[in-house]
Amino acid sequence: MRKAVLIIVLLVSISCFSQNKQILYNFTSVPQSLLTNPGSDVKYQWYFGVPLLSGISANVGSSGFSAYDLFADNGVDFNTKLRNVVFSTSRKDKLAINEQIEFFNGGFKIGDWQSNAYISFGMYQEMDFLAYMPKDIAIFALDGNRDYLGKVFDLGDLNAKGELLSVFHVGYHKNISDKLIVGVRGKIYSSIFNISSTQNSGYFYTIQGANSIYDQIISSNITVNTSGFLNYTNNYSGNAKSDITKKMLLGGNLGLGFDVGLTYYPKKNVQFTASITDIGFIKHSKEVESYSYKGYYKYVGLTPDFIGGNSNNNLLQDFQDAIPLDTLHTKYTTWRPVKLNSSIQYSFGDGRGSTCNCTGNEMKYTNSVGAQLFAMSTPRMPFMALTAYYRRQIFDSLEMKATYTLDSFSAKNIGLGLSTTVGKVNFYILADNLLEYQDVSKANSLSFQLGLNIIFPNKNTPY
Amino acid sequence: MNKFIGIFSLSIFLFSCSSNLDFNQVNDLKSEPVIVSNLATFDLPANQFVTNGIEQYVFFDSQTFDVFRDSFFNKSLVRTDLFFEITNTINRAYIIDVYFLNGNNSKLYTISFNVPAYTIGQNPVAKTEIFENAKLDLLKNSRKIAFKVTMLPGTALTESSPGSLKLISSATVYLVLQ
Repeated sequence: MRKAVLIIVLLVSISCFSQNKQILYNFTSVPQSLLTNPGSDVKYQWYFGVPLLSGISANVGSSGFSAYDLFADNGVDFNTKLRNVVFSTSRKDKLAINEQIEFFNGGFKIGDWQSNAYISFGMYQEMDFLAYMPKDIAIFALDGNRDYLGKVFDLGDLNAKGELLSVFHVGYHKNISDKLIVGVRGKIYSSIFNISSTQNSGYFYTIQGANSIYDQIISSNITVNTSGFLNYTNNYSGNAKSDITKKMLLGGNLGLGFDVGLTYYPKKNVQFTASITDIGFIKHSKEVESYSYKGYYKYVGLTPDFIGGNSNNNLLQDFQDAIPLDTLHTKYTTWRPVKLNSSIQYSFGDGRGSTCNCTGNEMKYTNSVGAQLFAMSTPRMPFMALTAYYRRQIFDSLEMKATYTLDSFSAKNIGLGLSTTVGKVNFYILADNLLEYQDVSKANSLSFQLGLNIIFPNKNTPY
Repeated sequence: MNKFIGIFSLSIFLFSCSSNLDFNQVNDLKSEPVIVSNLATFDLPANQFVTNGIEQYVFFDSQTFDVFRDSFFNKSLVRTDLFFEITNTINRAYIIDVYFLNGNNSKLYTISFNVPAYTIGQNPVAKTEIFENAKLDLLKNSRKIAFKVTMLPGTALTESSPGSLKLISSATVYLVLQ
């Protein structure tokens, strides 16, 4: 029981989530923006990311409460803080963590200087965790049921998933015309660990009874699927490190997915983009173990049988027979969280220097303003975010993007991204929720990305 | 222009602050749930006390009751209230004994009720027994509960006598989890 309470607290204290990369999206001086839209207007002769340093991102979000609410060193009793968190949040509040590290990433242009088709490819490792606040279960663990006669405790509040996987991808994008760029990216997922328990339902309640003091009913439909853990639970004698490496290199539970996207210029200074990424699934068939509690039990208590005498009924056994713990080894499929991004942008200001002999040169704008929409599928309601942004070319080699984002974690999320390209070296750093850096412990969400690339720019001339 | 990046990166790391957080507070975690549930229920109609015209005076049944065998529950339990309510609508008086027995069928604790014969408008016999400290330990060592119903002498019953002897009971369990 104590463990259960700890796990609940842990779930509650970790829950943060959002894979919204609002700064990176359409930030085309960074090649990694191709991962948020395979049809991004990114041009290069060729590029490669510095291995392990080309893309590092971490993203933590918790709606409803912050680390400070729970762990502040302020003299208030921890249990008081925990109660406040449990009772001030709802079952919709969630904790989400996402982390990505690129192992390698590169790209090249296909064909000669007149061609407008590009290949990009790479591999990254990703960790995802999402948990909803298990509110009713937390209330029961804290208070029991005495003061909640008539309340229906919802077992569907148990909703969490986590995954560690590696992703191999190859993308292709092409300027179909001056106005339209389309792109597609194929992905192979190799799942290292997966745990998912997102389809639960059931309830239990206690009410005043007619023929006994209480009517107590529990109806349970709980399933927890796991894959990739099995070898480590019992007498594991192998080498975990080499095992995990193997799973990363396509030795895990495999899946397939794809991204599609486009960039469209209805006018030279107006740009529309849209993408859908991670339309894909993973088939879990290796090291699969699922646990389920399914059944219905009405608890009436002991019922002595004076006629037969010594009836010897066993309540614990009755309960276990009614709602048995089943351990299964059946394959299951998980769907990747599908992400939708879209933006509209208006550009202004002539970015060409006054000394430039501009005839024939492509117009380059200094400033852009725009709006972005992000949506992602989750086990319950889709996660949505709306971003307004301003992009500016500060120098030829320095570009900035500032964002203001509204989502369920925060209504005052200001982010800033900088990308500098000196010679062929591109460095970028993106961070959001800058206001929260005054006190990160009170932040409801933070995200952070940086990376290093070598880019050989696109050539529009034969020499 | 690398300066800009440098300044930006540095400022994120240098100017970011955090209130003191103390994650060791998790060790103070303590929850005190109070759980209510049924304990036992029976309803004996008057005619069961008569077989082939002969009155049966004593009924007995023992039931396995091994929730205390669970060490976690045993350790976390700090108090138990047992509530009983007996409604007798039979025109005879009874004694009901509830015995808590250990694994060797030795009596550890007994709760007895004197149930008067039915009269119109009488209240049910109710009792709450609180188990704490040493008394709670007796309960924790119990593995069985036995019920004994003894009918006292009085007006003879027949197989068509009306009424029943009904017992309902509940447990209120106080746990401290830490």
